[in-house]
Amino acid sequence: MVHMVKRSTANNHDFADLTHIFNPRSVAIIGASEKPGKVGQVIMQNYMDAGFQGALYPVNINAGEKISGYKAYKSVLDIRKEIDLVVIAIPAAGVPNVLEECGKAKANGAVIVSGGFAEVGAADLEEKIKQISKKYKMPFIGPNCLGVMDPRARIDTLFLPTYKIERPKIGGVSFVSQSGSVGSSTLDLISAEGFGLSRFISYGNATVVDEVDILHFLAKDKNTKVIVYYLEGAKRGREFIEVAKEVTKSKPVVIIKGGITETGATAAHSHTASLAGSYESYSAVFRQFGMTEAHELEELIYFAKIFDTQPLVTGNRVAVITNGGGHGVLATDAIYQNGLTFPQLTKESQKELRRRMPPIVNIALPMDVGGEADYKRFGDALEVLSTDQNVDAIMMIALFQTPGADEKLVDAVVNFNNGKKKPLVVVSTGSSYTQSHTKLMESAGVPVYESPSAAAKALAALISYSRYREKAV
Amino acid sequence: MGELLDYVSAYNLMKKYGINSIESKYVKSADEAIKFSKGRPIVLKGITKKAIHKTKSGLLELDLLTSDQIKGAFLRLSKKAQKFKPYKILAQPMTKQGIEIIMGGKVDSQFGKMILLGLGGIYVETFKDFALRVCPITRYDAKKMLEQLKSKKVIAPDQKSEKMIEEVLLKISKLLVENNIQELDLNPLILHDGTYDAVDIRILK
Repeated sequence: MVHMVKRSTANNHDFADLTHIFNPRSVAIIGASEKPGKVGQVIMQNYMDAGFQGALYPVNINAGEKISGYKAYKSVLDIRKEIDLVVIAIPAAGVPNVLEECGKAKANGAVIVSGGFAEVGAADLEEKIKQISKKYKMPFIGPNCLGVMDPRARIDTLFLPTYKIERPKIGGVSFVSQSGSVGSSTLDLISAEGFGLSRFISYGNATVVDEVDILHFLAKDKNTKVIVYYLEGAKRGREFIEVAKEVTKSKPVVIIKGGITETGATAAHSHTASLAGSYESYSAVFRQFGMTEAHELEELIYFAKIFDTQPLVTGNRVAVITNGGGHGVLATDAIYQNGLTFPQLTKESQKELRRRMPPIVNIALPMDVGGEADYKRFGDALEVLSTDQNVDAIMMIALFQTPGADEKLVDAVVNFNNGKKKPLVVVSTGSSYTQSHTKLMESAGVPVYESPSAAAKALAALISYSRYREKAV
Repeated sequence: MGELLDYVSAYNLMKKYGINSIESKYVKSADEAIKFSKGRPIVLKGITKKAIHKTKSGLLELDLLTSDQIKGAFLRLSKKAQKFKPYKILAQPMTKQGIEIIMGGKVDSQFGKMILLGLGGIYVETFKDFALRVCPITRYDAKKMLEQLKSKKVIAPDQKSEKMIEEVLLKISKLLVENNIQELDLNPLILHDGTYDAVDIRILK
């Protein structure tokens, strides 16, 4: 659990300037090392692996001439060149001195990876570094965090070896996590998904740069299309609301709140206070200002991928096509349980479907195209249903265990999806053969789900946000 | 923690914001209560800082019509209220039967003043069916609060009652924003005959 440190609210709407931290031209790594297993070694290695194009300055008080082939420095003050970002990975006790030196060296920003501050009770140590940051007007992320990763700018302050955690490809989803462990494990999950990452930010104790600064930065960030957020608490509640209101006008924010059970809650004096605890307030704020709340880590992924790939839609009439009867039944339940409904197909599309489908296919929803359905039959159904004015979105269940479903079906779905007329979600349940096909679809921008209920939840989230946007903008 | 605002002052505050509340008066004796009733069935309530739940604490006597009923209830209440001293006894005319809802407010440590709408009365704790928003709310927010409730159809079966509830929510939001209030409970607020009455008001300053 991250310890909270109050930040003065006197300076309303003042946002830390994060451009240098996120788009650095030069990076100094303090605590850089060649010794395997040292955090400073992993960070150094990751920078090299990421192919960072700017200047890299390893700093270590015990350094010799070089570290990993780069000219090494004993102090950041010896560099004598402009430094955009300093990554600090040394024991907590040494951080204030080093940070002071960074200030003197006129560094533009820092990421303090080190733990051992307020989260373990050392609040005065944390206050010290906060004051140094203020004195030199040098914002920092952390301490007690993983820091930032940006595959586009090729920066990577994570102290997690690349062989242990996959790095996602470049894309439009930015993922912010107060916690490092939720951050890294979810990042690993994201890399297994088709969608790519814009930025990853783990900001730990939020001593200087907090959630308001980060949301504000991402709201303006052209490379970020969707924001995914793991939040434990917002320090500046009212400013959080202001910035949330702004950002959701143009970008979906998927958010999960950690710490929803209250331990030290005081006895309430009214029914209102006993019902509306701290978590309920957060949940209400998310809802009121257009953020999409996820209740499980999996939902972060479900929602992120539909927002990343599919157009907004306010209507809730979903046409279901399936090549499995049981899945059609499950999908029907999922549709109605999530506040969605089946459309009434127009006379024309019913006629057209009847003309194109074999007699065994019943022209009704969910439309069971049959176990032997191939790419052509699926393609026909998609084409006709997507042009029906009463259909708002399509859920396509493609079970690859059936004889007709193969890579040609993948092509047909991807081609259809590229047209992006209406939102499409695909449900494919299964193991290796299925997954090899769903991976292809996902990497081409088709959101694929393992169950009808996951797909229906994602559609419901898309619709709910689209409706908010329509009202709010 | 804040201090409980005197009931009649709270009642007057509701009036100021145009929120219908049931006529309320403190009575010091059974005779005063009989006089208040003017032949109408009345309710007597023990008002104390020490118990939020009047039904559970037995501080509620309903549907009192005759002088004997009123006198008996007054004595019973006075006896039960001893352990919640200091207390006062409040008289109100008996309300019509209707749907009991709760509207409330609180100050959240992060987000400030918040407003609540939910299914009320004895169902508050059982179903925990409520919606919450940050103040001030817009008409759209009020609509969405109602939409969010599982019991929406029960609370607001038609457009007219929807609109009425939205109006009250907007008034309460204004009241919360303009006054120094830590917590507010209107529970129950009874919906009946196309109108409503706040029957119990609790305000913590």
